[in-house]
Amino acid sequence: MNETCISIRHLSVFYGKSVALKDISLSIPGRQITAIIGPSGCGKTTLLRSINRLIESTDETRVSGEILVDGQNIMDRRLDVTALRKKIGLLAQKPSPLPMSIYDNVAYGPRIHGERDRKALDRTVQDCLQTVSLWDEVKHRLRAPASRLSVGQQQRLCLARSLAVRPEILLCDEPTSALDPVSSQTIEKKLVELKKDYTIVIVTHNIHQAIRLADYVIHLYLGELVEHGPANEVFEHPKEERTRAYINGTFLADIKFDKELDLKGTKCPYNFVYAKLALDDLAEGNILRIIVDDPTAVTELPRGMEADGYEVLNSNQLNKTDWEIVIRK
Amino acid sequence: MGRRKMEEAIFKCLMVASVVIVVGVLLTMIVMVIWRGLPALDLSMITQTPKGGYYLGREGGILNAIVGSLYLAIGATVLAFVISLPVALFLQREYIGRARFAGLVRLCLDILWGIPSIVYGAFGFIIMLYLGMRASLLGGIVVLTLLEIPIMARAMDEVIRTVSADLKDASYALGATRSETAVKVVTRQVLPGILTAALLAFGRGIGDAASILFTAGYTDRIPTSLLDPVASLPLAIFFQLGTPFPEVRERAYASAVILLVIILLISIASRLLSRRLAKHVVK
Amino acid sequence: MEKGLSRLIGRRWADLAATRLMFVATVFVASVAVFIGIGLLLKSWPILEARPLSELLFSSVWCPSRGEFGFYPFIMGTLWVTGLAGIIALPLSLLSALYLAEYAPNKVRALVKPALDLLAGIPSVVYGIWGILALSLGGISIGFNVLAGGIVLAIMVIPVVTSVSEEVFRTVPRDIKEASLAVGATRWETAKHVVMRASLPGVAAAVVLGFSRAFGETMAVLMVVGNVARAPSSVMDPAYPLTALIANNYGEMMSVPLYDSALLLAALVLLVMVLVFNVAARLALARVQRRWA
Repeated sequence: MNETCISIRHLSVFYGKSVALKDISLSIPGRQITAIIGPSGCGKTTLLRSINRLIESTDETRVSGEILVDGQNIMDRRLDVTALRKKIGLLAQKPSPLPMSIYDNVAYGPRIHGERDRKALDRTVQDCLQTVSLWDEVKHRLRAPASRLSVGQQQRLCLARSLAVRPEILLCDEPTSALDPVSSQTIEKKLVELKKDYTIVIVTHNIHQAIRLADYVIHLYLGELVEHGPANEVFEHPKEERTRAYINGTFLADIKFDKELDLKGTKCPYNFVYAKLALDDLAEGNILRIIVDDPTAVTELPRGMEADGYEVLNSNQLNKTDWEIVIRK
Repeated sequence: MGRRKMEEAIFKCLMVASVVIVVGVLLTMIVMVIWRGLPALDLSMITQTPKGGYYLGREGGILNAIVGSLYLAIGATVLAFVISLPVALFLQREYIGRARFAGLVRLCLDILWGIPSIVYGAFGFIIMLYLGMRASLLGGIVVLTLLEIPIMARAMDEVIRTVSADLKDASYALGATRSETAVKVVTRQVLPGILTAALLAFGRGIGDAASILFTAGYTDRIPTSLLDPVASLPLAIFFQLGTPFPEVRERAYASAVILLVIILLISIASRLLSRRLAKHVVK
Repeated sequence: MEKGLSRLIGRRWADLAATRLMFVATVFVASVAVFIGIGLLLKSWPILEARPLSELLFSSVWCPSRGEFGFYPFIMGTLWVTGLAGIIALPLSLLSALYLAEYAPNKVRALVKPALDLLAGIPSVVYGIWGILALSLGGISIGFNVLAGGIVLAIMVIPVVTSVSEEVFRTVPRDIKEASLAVGATRWETAKHVVMRASLPGVAAAVVLGFSRAFGETMAVLMVVGNVARAPSSVMDPAYPLTALIANNYGEMMSVPLYDSALLLAALVLLVMVLVFNVAARLALARVQRRWA
């Protein structure tokens, strides 16, 4: 059952001049849940969107390397992208119902792919909605606009919509980050149920979710592949120091900070200078936690710190504007 | 599968073809007008008023129309600005309160926007008859003002709506009143957009002929008072084109080039202005 | 303390005064449309009293000196020219806008978009001149008729409709476009089923905007459409739209009885046509939206 389903060879992705992914090579096993973890901005989503070639819709993207799905290189220019995307479903971060009725949302994919038979469509819609446990909630209002559903229901509808074209692989990009805890739980439960039929790849910045769901883990950091392997190995005995730090870092409640610094409102490079000054006062091995709200600091500050020989344990988005970065001297 | 690919390809071709046709035709249009107009364009066109026999192909220029058009459009734009800005500011939630009233006002503005300029002209003419006025600079300015108000007010409204509530709240939190916030914060924030709206309306005003056909009149002299009749570029083009003399018709094309250049300058000015002024804008 | 208080009162007073002023300006502007309607109605009342409305609207005989005022040819002239312009301009504008919003590389868009905005600001007289120049290009002359008027009008409307619809198309969230692509839809299918649907209200507004301009356009059409007071029966016939009727005859109407009243009635009819078109488009849209939203 664990045959390799997707294998990625020397994949690099560039947005204009910046590198989003650096020479990634790995294999993703079939019919399991694979979690891609790592701090925000590390290329998780880029990796996910490479697998169904959605990155092409961004201007000035360059891709090198290859991705094999069922032994076929999907980066091949001659490949029919629509057939590929039929085989690979996507569940996005924010629920994105199409501007049409609940029924039409689910039937959209099958209709696109040429299904005209009314009865077959009805059956598919019912099946898919039942799979995501939405059928009983909406069966009396299938003609109602999808936008009237609650956010949690919308996300389940989106899952049903992906399933309606009978994909083999399901890509999920932080599928629960916009949802309340109860809806998140429902989605997680569905994903676990679905893994017997589908290969699932999920991007998450929530390490607890990765531990709950994943059979296989990929850790990315600043566009580089740090570590990948079966979940129990990676979580219990990480080979890489950075993975250990990341996993530990997200249990920060247990870690004692030696100093905390609020750098909100400061811009690069001042926040970097302040952080360096604070680190100077600390002893070797002490841990500094800083809070920033400057988007460039989120990517640049850790890079600068690493270049100066400090260890960045974690960078984590706290809310819409604020990020925490944890650094060990 | 083949059918879907084909549909994609066909429509992509159609789209590219549309863009090529649209851009091509519009470019040819400008090139044709300039190409016909340039040879007849000389310095006297823009420095002299029509001399005796100008419309028979003799000496003179259309300075009267250029100056007239500028008078009309500048006057109307200033007046329309003074009326439109308060309207656009008033359409914010703080003032108008009920969304329904705002919707009604916006509907009225949209309807005004759609009213043909010749109808404005006819209406203006009725009013002027009623007041016992003759076709004059003042009449032209008033009618053009009415024509420009909906364009300006609606465009300003659209930019003012983009001002975030946070920004306004910050001002209220400092104890500013609504009008202080409106004038000092909101207007400041959307200044580029407001000026672009004004220039857009100016462009419409200077190019419109139908509304001033009966209200501004036409004369070979440069007006010295608001009650004098006044010439305008669009009408100058129209009248010169109507003569049977080829030399005069050539001058119509030249006048069109002058009008085009003015429009082009306005467009460039609005781009530069909005870029210059954007520096105080909080992103 | 005294001083601070009086300043505060002063500021409050200024705020109140400014609010009043804005309110008056708003009410004035909003009522202009009503004033125009009433003004035109009052002035065209003599002819409405003298002749039955059905005769005015549906009679084809236009002979002011004999007191015969049939607007039918002019109404049909306006409808033919505007309709033809619509048939030409709509597909071209919408396809171009879709291409610019969904397919075009950034560089192309950065070049074409400002050009369209510039063209949208070009006065109609210039379009009319182009019409005359193009018509006199010899050989392939199509003559002064509905076709010429429709083409010139279409070209005038295209930049506005294209530019506004392109902006509307681009506001469609990327998420839902990708949702469609991700189930294997082609870009065209996504554009057709998702982008067009999601941006329908905005596109409808763009079309209404463009066509309100087309209905009321005077100069450009007047110059090429032929101006013969007979209802056209094909696109190769000349036509005489309402706008051209008003513009051509306004100066000389004073001597003939009821003539001025008739021309103002023409303006009123034009106003009503634009209003009906606006309202009908809004109602249709509201209906479609209720079904989809």
